[in-house]
Amino acid sequence: MPGVCASSTQSPLEGKVSKVKWPTYLSLSLVAMILGVLLVFQFRVVRYIEQGVSLGRVQELTVELRQLEKEKLKLAAEASDLSAKLQQAGQGQAEAEKALEGELEKARLLAGLVPVTGPGVEVTLDNPPANRGWATSLYVIRDEDLLRVVNELRGAGAEAISINGQRIVATSEIRWAAPFINVNLTRLVPPYHILAIGNPGNLRSALEIPGGLVEYLQELGVQVKIQAHDRLTVPGYNRPLEFRYAKPVVKE
Amino acid sequence: MWLGVWLTLLGLILGVIVGLNIPMVLTKAHAKYLSVAVLAALDSVFGGVRAAMEEHFDHTIFLSGFFANALLAAGLAYIGERLGIDLYLAAVVAFGVRLFQNLAIIRRHLVRGIKRG
Repeated sequence: MPGVCASSTQSPLEGKVSKVKWPTYLSLSLVAMILGVLLVFQFRVVRYIEQGVSLGRVQELTVELRQLEKEKLKLAAEASDLSAKLQQAGQGQAEAEKALEGELEKARLLAGLVPVTGPGVEVTLDNPPANRGWATSLYVIRDEDLLRVVNELRGAGAEAISINGQRIVATSEIRWAAPFINVNLTRLVPPYHILAIGNPGNLRSALEIPGGLVEYLQELGVQVKIQAHDRLTVPGYNRPLEFRYAKPVVKE
Repeated sequence: MWLGVWLTLLGLILGVIVGLNIPMVLTKAHAKYLSVAVLAALDSVFGGVRAAMEEHFDHTIFLSGFFANALLAAGLAYIGERLGIDLYLAAVVAFGVRLFQNLAIIRRHLVRGIKRG
């Protein structure tokens, strides 16, 4: 209805002096109600918009959010990459640790710090018996005898040697301290049990070779007994092993 | 006469209550059209009051003017938005000027009525 759109204020030509009637009241109330709805709704909208964020700010925040999401993705990829690297490094470290442990184990074995077991011979040396009419033995076993036995055993390929429970290591001494023999600063008395791990046949034949050490000792009257064992256990060196003066040479 | 005033006030209060309880809110872009429509409606109402004081009130013209002005104002604002012109400013200026004119005429009628006793 394009022709009726003129406002009521611009229609003085009608000039209709009317007594107010019921339809007029109703239309007025309706208009007032619609006006009230519109006004209050608009108030609320305006207040809501003032409380809310502006359009520019929304766009700004959206862009920022997108950037941050992109950054987050990148960082997540980086994090997974780094964790993979960390895992690799951890694996490498575990392997290195295992290798080091194996090396340490080997070193301890070679140094004689751990008990070892295997085939070998047991050599028992005792002083000549004293009951041939003399009060004491004519001969007592000296440190040289033990040293020669140990030397012979080593020469025959013994891998671990102990005398009366004292493991012979690189720093061990076998020293005459009458009437004892000191091994690892421990006093030993006869009979001497020498345990050697190695090829039992080789060890035995090295000692019992004609004109060899056993023959020589038996001539002196020493009681020598050699037993081959399939399995014997040589104890480990149990004293603190510490070098106070010797330091490793630092290579440039 | 007084019955009409009371009925109108009742309608206004009813409308305010309904408006307060509408469970939705327009976005900023749509609020512009509604504001122009509200301005047009206000202008129509004050125009109606003035017509009543000058005693040539016609409620058909009043009702049609009320709705047509509100819808046209909102529609023009929308078209202006589409065209890239702030056409709603024109509606604001036109209805605002007429609002003030109507208010001034109502004031004069009131003052004259009081003077007349």
